[in-house]
Amino acid sequence: MCLKVINPPPFLFVVFFSLLWWGCQSGKHGEKKNEGDGDYISSVSVLHAKGFQIDHAREYTKVTIHNPWTSDRKPYAVYYLYKTDAIALPPDGIKVKIPVTTLAVNTFSYFEFLTLLGEVDVIKAVTDGFRVYNPVILQKMETGEIIDLGDPFNPNVEKTMALNPQAIINSAYAQMDSYSERLIQAGFSVIYSLEWMENSPLARAEWIKLMAAFLDKEAMADTIFSGIEGKYLDLQEKVKEVPQKRSVMAGDNFQGTWYVPGGNSFNATLFRDAHLDYHYKNNKESGSIGLDIESILTQFGNVELWFGCEADTYGELAEKDAKYLLLQPVQKRQVFNNHNRTTPSGGNDFFESAIANPDLMLSDLIKAAYPSLLPHYSFTYIKPLEETPARE
Amino acid sequence: MNNRSAIFLLLVAFLAVAFICDIFTGNAPISVNEAWAALFNTSGDPIIDEIIRNYRLPKAITAMIAGAALSLSGLLMQTLFRNPLAGPDVLGVSAGAGLGVALLTMLSGTAVYPFISSMGSMAQVVAAVGGAALVLLLILGVSARIKDSITILVLGMIFGYVASAMVTILQSFADPDSLKVFVTWTFGSLGGVTWDKMPLLFAFVLTGVAVAYLLQKALNSLLLGENYAASTGLNIKRNRFLIITIAAIITGTVTAFTGPIAFVGVVIPHFARSFLGTVNHKTILPATLLMGSILMLVCDIVSQIPIANRTLPVNAVTAVFGAPMIVWIVLKRKKL
Repeated sequence: MCLKVINPPPFLFVVFFSLLWWGCQSGKHGEKKNEGDGDYISSVSVLHAKGFQIDHAREYTKVTIHNPWTSDRKPYAVYYLYKTDAIALPPDGIKVKIPVTTLAVNTFSYFEFLTLLGEVDVIKAVTDGFRVYNPVILQKMETGEIIDLGDPFNPNVEKTMALNPQAIINSAYAQMDSYSERLIQAGFSVIYSLEWMENSPLARAEWIKLMAAFLDKEAMADTIFSGIEGKYLDLQEKVKEVPQKRSVMAGDNFQGTWYVPGGNSFNATLFRDAHLDYHYKNNKESGSIGLDIESILTQFGNVELWFGCEADTYGELAEKDAKYLLLQPVQKRQVFNNHNRTTPSGGNDFFESAIANPDLMLSDLIKAAYPSLLPHYSFTYIKPLEETPARE
Repeated sequence: MNNRSAIFLLLVAFLAVAFICDIFTGNAPISVNEAWAALFNTSGDPIIDEIIRNYRLPKAITAMIAGAALSLSGLLMQTLFRNPLAGPDVLGVSAGAGLGVALLTMLSGTAVYPFISSMGSMAQVVAAVGGAALVLLLILGVSARIKDSITILVLGMIFGYVASAMVTILQSFADPDSLKVFVTWTFGSLGGVTWDKMPLLFAFVLTGVAVAYLLQKALNSLLLGENYAASTGLNIKRNRFLIITIAAIITGTVTAFTGPIAFVGVVIPHFARSFLGTVNHKTILPATLLMGSILMLVCDIVSQIPIANRTLPVNAVTAVFGAPMIVWIVLKRKKL
């Protein structure tokens, strides 16, 4: 179960320093093996992600998912991937025969990884089917090729077992969930998704390499990621040339509390890379910070842009709460939501393919903040609010 | 055979049918023949065997235990407080369990992570038991100082409100994802009890049931009021202590393993009294256990009906599907 507590109590500093230490330790990714790991002949180069490591032995591949909550380097999970039977594998870890051909994917971020790798056909089950955006998956759900396992926080155990997939991708938390526990006890391979703990867009996108290891498509993933990384870094360089940073606010009001990204979060990194000035840029929180409307007005009242608004129109904003009108980005019509690619039933591509396409996310922000830098680009995930008036 | 024996036989038969039906119902397409084969031998398909033996069977047993335990706890509370609205949650024990789980949700990613992760999925059970035990200790602390049971009831509810308020405060600090994880726990789930956890659940509840059986006479005396009971030589303080302890322990244990489950504990004791036409605990106690188990099994069967690809939260099913059933019976009999 994840912990993202607002307004840090003292123990969060312990967590932060643990993460910092962990981060320093994991700077060794991508290097050849250290002594003691002499069985491994090479490692996959992992440049940004801190959460996993892939090592090759002669006859099998070891995939290690690091544990972001401890500092003792004890892994969260270890997998041994093999191609032919009758290979001697180390006694620990979960053994998975590759390439995997059937998967239950309980986290939306992996849809695009699989799509980019040309392996969307391995998906046999998803959760929260009504919220899916990917048109290929939607079509396969209609024909019954992909089944819906229900609530991603509590997927249907029986349906998963009856489907008998080769592996199940499930979001991992700091606590063992009973769904994963049941499946592991029954002998299923659960691939833990911890990409959401990474706090930079390139690090999250790099988890395509982990997915590729299970599909035996490592070289392809490397090429795809290098392309994305190249585009992202080019954009980052280009936007640095802008002399004056524009200021930004994020998030929206959720039942009286306004959740804004912490300074060490994924979104704050994205703002930094897009050459935007964010009030909490020096904050150390990697989750969200809960603020009341008064704090929002005083800290963000005069910023230039607002991303991640939940409304579709300025009229809707005014109708929800007239205090929104006090914000400068609302007055100057510089408000953007993430609703550019949605389905009527609640699907939103921002929660699916954006993780795998950080270059497009960065392009969106740059286009909104400094449109002259990307004259021919049109928004992928974000959309400016429309001018429709409030309901009479 | 008298009427009462016939009713008990009928209840046992109902329980057996509900138990079998619960094992035959689920979201995986498994035929009755396959399920039967998996239960007693093998279906030939290891996946079907796994679902039937290691998922549906422990789930059905958990439903039986939880239904019986919560109903018994409700009966004990109603008798002790002589209040028809009393239920397993009046002492604030369920709210205490909720507080334990909410705290765990908040702390699971912090410096205490190694300790929490070493417990695996038992961490949630331990946290819930811890929260429930805290409220129980408070209740026992005040019950030692206060003579009047109704005052204890009110204080128990106050402790419950405080625990719920603390949960709300913790929720206000948590981000939406953590909130969802906690809210999922409050839905209640009978499927989380694996075979390795079952002996623990069974042992606690069985101890509670055994002690309750030994207290039958005391419970009957309490029905006449504490003053009368005291005049018959009953040690009110000691019996009250025992009743509160076992009610809290079985409620806390069940809540820890299944999440909060409402409704069953309040209604079943009334139903048992009405159906058997007596308030004598010698009859009501076993009837309450049987009826609680039956209702819980029926609710588990109903909760398997997929609506928009989701199974229904069992905590909601107990009230939504149980209430019309009870109302229908009340209307038929013109009284509860």
